[in-house]
Amino acid sequence: MSRAKIPYVPPEERAFPDLDSGKYLVMWQGPNHPGITGNMSLRLVIEGDSVVDCETHVGYLHRGFEKLMERRLWMQNFPLVCRIAVPEPDFNEYCYAAALEELAGIEIPEKAVWLRTLSLEMIRLASFLMWIGGQAGAFGHGTIAQWSVTMRDYVLDLFEELSGGRIYHMYIIPGGVRADVPPGFLRHVLETMTVVEQNLKDIELVMFHNAVMKMRAVGLGYIPRDWVERYGITGPNARAAGVRRDLRKDRGYLAYPRLSFEPVVGTESDAFERARLRLAEMFQAIDLIRQIVDALPAEGAFRERLPNPLHWRIPAGETYVSAECTRGEYGFYVVSDGGDKPRRVAVRGPSYTHAVSVMERLVRGVNIADVAGLMVSLHTYPPEIER
Amino acid sequence: METGILTRIGYALVSLFVITNYGLLLIGSMARISAKVQGRVGQPVWQPYIDIVKSTAKRNSIGHGIMFYLGPVFRLAGGVGTYMFIPAVYGSVLFRNFSDSGDLLLVMYFIFFGQLGMALGASEGGHPYSAIGVSRGLSQMTAFEVPFALSVIAVAIQYRTLDITAIVAAQQGGFWNWTVATNPLAVVAALIAFLGMSMHNPFSIVIAPQEIPIGPPTEYQSNLLGMLQTNRAIFNGAKLVLYMNLYFGGATDIVTMVVKTFLIYFINVFVGQAFPRFRVDQSIRFFLGVPTLIGIASVIIAAI
Repeated sequence: MSRAKIPYVPPEERAFPDLDSGKYLVMWQGPNHPGITGNMSLRLVIEGDSVVDCETHVGYLHRGFEKLMERRLWMQNFPLVCRIAVPEPDFNEYCYAAALEELAGIEIPEKAVWLRTLSLEMIRLASFLMWIGGQAGAFGHGTIAQWSVTMRDYVLDLFEELSGGRIYHMYIIPGGVRADVPPGFLRHVLETMTVVEQNLKDIELVMFHNAVMKMRAVGLGYIPRDWVERYGITGPNARAAGVRRDLRKDRGYLAYPRLSFEPVVGTESDAFERARLRLAEMFQAIDLIRQIVDALPAEGAFRERLPNPLHWRIPAGETYVSAECTRGEYGFYVVSDGGDKPRRVAVRGPSYTHAVSVMERLVRGVNIADVAGLMVSLHTYPPEIER
Repeated sequence: METGILTRIGYALVSLFVITNYGLLLIGSMARISAKVQGRVGQPVWQPYIDIVKSTAKRNSIGHGIMFYLGPVFRLAGGVGTYMFIPAVYGSVLFRNFSDSGDLLLVMYFIFFGQLGMALGASEGGHPYSAIGVSRGLSQMTAFEVPFALSVIAVAIQYRTLDITAIVAAQQGGFWNWTVATNPLAVVAALIAFLGMSMHNPFSIVIAPQEIPIGPPTEYQSNLLGMLQTNRAIFNGAKLVLYMNLYFGGATDIVTMVVKTFLIYFINVFVGQAFPRFRVDQSIRFFLGVPTLIGIASVIIAAI
């Protein structure tokens, strides 16, 4: 048997290498491993230092979110939904709240629309800052990771000022938002954006004009364009493959139709292109935040009055609400039977596709040194996989 | 007056004590500088002492056979052996060590002896990451050895000796006598090899936490880890003193030695903070490319 070449296996098929041949080594990456993105693991079959086969293992974080939600009152689910994607809980809050509003026929005030948009763009920036640290760290560049995590903390300071919570905000609630902006908050937002923007320019210089980074990331994890439809790839992973798909533009929810921006689209579809694209989206998020601060109404209600949440019954019906999160399409399918609890909630998180279907196929033939970098380049959060 | 053997052993032990402490403080201070670059406060300068005391105070709970235990011993022997045959301060009785009993070839042997011993020990650990780390380490070592050896050959040709004390003596009299001024290509080749030898970014492929967490020492803990941490300080100090002697005119007093070695080590931190990590094949290809050509050029220049 040749040791030089790994046999080609089409993406839709598994390799199933003969483990008794003594030619392969089975190695687990995770669940406790600095190169894995959260509570999941990869069972890698390697030959030499190349991956022959990969199987993703999830379940380390299974809490049964969707089933738990069927046993709780509509309002009691708010502290739960935000935990499905820890680094960016606001998208869960928005999708769940918007689904309830749609079923209950609630119109939210103008100010709440802008505050929700502000909250979503702020968390987009915070999440991307955490991601870029992980991406640089996966290639051993700890300096970038430290810089970006510090910047993320500054954005979390803003959330603390706005909502009282740094990680879980529970700011977006049915009918609007939980509180108005505190005095001086908008000034703090603009000051923070200036600091973050300057830091991102430094990161761009050090990370994206770096010969070693290019050697590691260029050509790594190439996603063919036809995979986007085949595996349901969304977000920056799809846009880096040249697919112009951004729900903020395509569906125009919240205040996005009134903001000036264009989806960032790439061409190369490798890890470096995905990173470059996300950096551009970070600058775009800063720009959007500035536009929102300028357009935010100074006066007006920030939420509609709701019925008593302990006795709130939502009319029977079903709906699907989605939003463009940092990783792609995030959606909540909610069914109500007219009772005080959801009949069924199904969450569509982009990580399910990216971390399982796509990762298992992309990692074949990759050097084990690049597995962590590849995984991070897909930007996944395991809790989304096991709702 | 000839110094007695017991006195010389005593001096060598004092010298070893000094370089160990200097190495620990150097590691601590560089970690602190790295933290500042990254926008952090960082660990205390004396953190390496705390780490060694903590590791050494713990009881060993896992064993993997005799070679597993001997790995750190060989590693430490490599570090101590390297330092013992280098004059730390030129002209000093206290810091000359046993430099008159061995030459550059012996020192180079000791540099690699420790790593080979560690490779044998770590392979006994049985963990896949240990074996992969060993394989990576030896591959990279073989690669950076080429420009380093070429640079040493250039120095040996230039000064017509392998005696380190004689090489330092030949560089006395001012900056323009230092190797960095007389044969800068040899110094460039050696410094690039030094980055690989020190295993900082972009050559940190042996430890590589995100790839093969910690690599060879994966299974090492307690006093064995303490031994490896101690060796890290000694070995770093020894390598720095060697580079100072070969390329930067040596040192005639301890303050000069500290300043020069600090600056040489700082190159590691400077480069390490600015670059991510190479992949193994990229690292090997790098060392066998431009640095090797520079090394060959330095040999030609020295020969002419």
